[in-house]
Amino acid sequence: MSAAPEAGPPIFARTRRNRSGSGLSGRETMLLLIPALLPIVILSVLPLVRGIYLGFTDARAGLNVPTTFIGLDNFRALLDDELFVNSFKIGVIWSVAVTAIGFCFALGLALLLTQNLRGRWLARSLALVPWAMPAVVVGIMWKLVFQPQAGVLNEALRRGHIPGENTDWLSSFSWALPAVILVGVWAGMPQTTVALLAGLQSIQDELHEAAAVDGATAWQRFRTITLPQLRPVIIAITTLDFIWNFNSFGLVYVLTEGGPAGKTQLPMLFAYSQAFEYGEFGYASALGSAMVVVIAVALVFYLWGRLKEAK
Amino acid sequence: MIVTTRPRRTKTVQYAVLLGYLVFLGFPLLWMLSMSFKGPRELVQLYPSFIPEDFTFENYRTALTEDDHQLVRNGINSLKVAAVTALLTTMIGLPAAYVLARRKGLITRLGLGWILLSQMFPLILIIIPLFLLLRDLKLTNSHIGLVVVYVVWALPFILWMLMSYIRGIPHDLEEAATVDGASRFQILVGIIAPLLVPGIVVTTLFAFISAWNEFFFALVILENPDLTTLPLRLAQYVGIEGVVRFGPLAAAALLATAPSLILFTIIQRWLARGLLSGAVKG
Amino acid sequence: MRKVITLGVLTLLCTVLVAGAQAGKQASVVKLKFATYVWQPTTVAANKAIVESWNKSHPGIQVEIVPVDVNSVHDKLLTSFVGGTAADVIHDEAADIAGFTQQGYLANLTPLIPKTLKRTIPNSLWQTTNFGGKITGVPALLQTYNIFANMDILKSAGIKAPTLADPWTWPEFRANAKRLTTSGRFGVCWGLRSPTAVTQTMSLNYGGQFFYLENGKWTFKFGPNDQNVVRQMHDMIHVDKSVDPAATGLSGSAVLPAFFGGKCAMTVAGNFAAQSMILQSPKGFNWAMFPLLKGRTQEQVANPQTYSISQQSTNKQAAMFFISYLVNRQNLAKLALGDWLIPANPEAGKLARKSTKRTGSWKIATESVVHFRKGNWVSLAAYPRWKAEVAQPNFVQYLRGSISLEDLGKNLEDGWKRINGR
Repeated sequence: MSAAPEAGPPIFARTRRNRSGSGLSGRETMLLLIPALLPIVILSVLPLVRGIYLGFTDARAGLNVPTTFIGLDNFRALLDDELFVNSFKIGVIWSVAVTAIGFCFALGLALLLTQNLRGRWLARSLALVPWAMPAVVVGIMWKLVFQPQAGVLNEALRRGHIPGENTDWLSSFSWALPAVILVGVWAGMPQTTVALLAGLQSIQDELHEAAAVDGATAWQRFRTITLPQLRPVIIAITTLDFIWNFNSFGLVYVLTEGGPAGKTQLPMLFAYSQAFEYGEFGYASALGSAMVVVIAVALVFYLWGRLKEAK
Repeated sequence: MIVTTRPRRTKTVQYAVLLGYLVFLGFPLLWMLSMSFKGPRELVQLYPSFIPEDFTFENYRTALTEDDHQLVRNGINSLKVAAVTALLTTMIGLPAAYVLARRKGLITRLGLGWILLSQMFPLILIIIPLFLLLRDLKLTNSHIGLVVVYVVWALPFILWMLMSYIRGIPHDLEEAATVDGASRFQILVGIIAPLLVPGIVVTTLFAFISAWNEFFFALVILENPDLTTLPLRLAQYVGIEGVVRFGPLAAAALLATAPSLILFTIIQRWLARGLLSGAVKG
Repeated sequence: MRKVITLGVLTLLCTVLVAGAQAGKQASVVKLKFATYVWQPTTVAANKAIVESWNKSHPGIQVEIVPVDVNSVHDKLLTSFVGGTAADVIHDEAADIAGFTQQGYLANLTPLIPKTLKRTIPNSLWQTTNFGGKITGVPALLQTYNIFANMDILKSAGIKAPTLADPWTWPEFRANAKRLTTSGRFGVCWGLRSPTAVTQTMSLNYGGQFFYLENGKWTFKFGPNDQNVVRQMHDMIHVDKSVDPAATGLSGSAVLPAFFGGKCAMTVAGNFAAQSMILQSPKGFNWAMFPLLKGRTQEQVANPQTYSISQQSTNKQAAMFFISYLVNRQNLAKLALGDWLIPANPEAGKLARKSTKRTGSWKIATESVVHFRKGNWVSLAAYPRWKAEVAQPNFVQYLRGSISLEDLGKNLEDGWKRINGR
């Protein structure tokens, strides 16, 4: 062992460091991982595989009913099922709308929060509130807002002499989906705002000041400096948002249960009813796999965006 | 922060827009608060007012005491399930997060990949096999079964959070300790853990909030009303044929949200900071 | 040493004997789980009282109530069946148990039903729970759809109320609704958020069954008898304009505020809405429940609440004893009074009427038992799915004027072919 303090870490310690870079032996690694690994494999990975497999069977509820492999029959039936097609259509419309509108709202709020305005703290706290609330409560809360007779929206319309004061928003064929999208936007504000805000705050000020000195307007600065720097965050958060929104269940379940007449029937709602109202386990699983396809497309988009930006 | 002087008009516009956001974000909550204090006759009247004319605590009383204090019992259920989930998840997740944060290699990459992917799968794919599995283990309709599902469901995000925090701890400390001959266990307990306390607290609380708010799994796994958690019970409040007793519903909803709101307010500052150190770089 | 051993053996022996006796005692007590979705506080109390009195008088068979959320009865029952945690005695309704019967989850009660019980319920009602010769449920409580009217408004418009002997016909109902529609007030507020039940139930007024047995297969038909009621409902909304179109998106009970507020003269609801009338109406509100509306007849489809036994139950005989107790004359009357529903047992109906001072609506309700007939759709296993996925959306769209009558019939038929074919 070296006796000279200025010599730095002793040589033998340096050579003892193995390739993984942290000194963790293989055995230690496994020991530390097992408590998490075991439940994950048994209760997450295996069920997922089984779930995908079920999509290829005719599994259904019934006492002592056997399950047989039926190949692609479920998927063929899905394509024929207008309710499935409808739910996917609604799912895509919902996800795109909530993600896009939510992004605009969140970006606006994030931009505002970087400005030196008083009361920022209040907006920042309020923006996070939806995150803390159970989706069920968000649904109930907005149900109270949309309630035709006793709700505040219609009352506000009435007092403002804006038409539509008697509309039963959540039962209207034309307004149910927009209403539900609005709630989705509200509920999705936190994660998007926080992500964008962090992204904005990490953009160097010097670039902006230099550009300002050069006479660039706020809009030009935003376009040429902020946006490009923000791109990775934007791509990441919108992809995640899209996927989370597409998989959404609790919020819309409480708001409309998929009604009226299936106008807000998101894919997860449809799958839930197939599985737990009619016991069509195989069919519902096939539906889940179909949803994964859409998600995979979104992921491909994300990876493509990252690759482009890496160039 | 950009400190440039802006024309008066821009500032006014900005404040106006900020006000708009405040209204959009805060108003629904305020409305529900107002409804929770309105008497039953006022709630069914045709032209409601914003401030309760007939201010009453009756709704809270009803919500808390009806059905033999079922809301309180459900709250205790939620508390039990969420607390156990949070503790178990953090306990299980911490060692694994340490490995994932420190060790580069195939396992780490697989782990990260699974963390990301598992957030994206529609729950329907996993709930059916899980339900059948729980049935075989006789764990359906039980809190144990629910906690088991919750732990596995919360693990990915918790791992991610813990990893961000662990990454924030410099290697040198560990290396120095290794040099001094400390065992892995001593390093973990003596060095990493104390530095990680704020991160662990935030993570545990976040796991608690997630479990407290969860609905879908509870909906499928729990049948017995005695075992019901709060979000499930609230969904059932919308009575038969849509008879909604708005007052008690609003009161119950607020009571149910209060704990997670409070906890969230406490951790939000660290949450944003901790979470995003991973998102922006990674 | 020997003493110690003897002592030890004796202790062991005693423990074993006591444990055995305990186990023996426990083994001889049958424990039944009773899943029920009663939710009205009055009914919940009545139910509890009945179970308590049973438990007291039958120490060998102990019953435990398992409450089921009334809004998701089918889902909860299904998960409990699939999950193997189903109760022994199951409270459900006739139209819902068709599916469970087909899935094999419900026990065949035919050999188990005591003759005394069989006699107390009319045969027409036993038909509703008879699936191809297998009876899987005991009918208990039923409802009808009735007109409720604001008598002050009617009086001031000079319109006479119908009586049991002289009920209103559909044309009379429509004409009166039109007369009662003025500016600022509609003749009828009809909560048609879920119109399938009321439409199909009342279609029996003209003999409309919707489902007919043809060549051994149940086919959906939308002939003149089937179309009649829903067409009249549609015309009341869009032609007569006597029904508030805005209210059609609401549930039956959500239109009550408008009814109480005088925005409409009448409303159509289940007979049990009488309870809401009493509890929620403003002071001095003068309401009445009318006898069943008449088409060619006053018949309405019987879709009773039922008590069934799970096929997975290991105590079917004991469960049957309990069910017989549950639906005996006195207890059924108590349950009926709690829920404001009509007992399947006419004797219980008489008892219910006697025990209340609230005649009027009770008299009309219990007198309706003779007008109950079996609806074919109640026994079809695929019906609940067709109802939720096809019927509801299409009826709603038709009543709102989005699709035509022909389209309605076509969609309903196509939907049935698709669902029943799987």
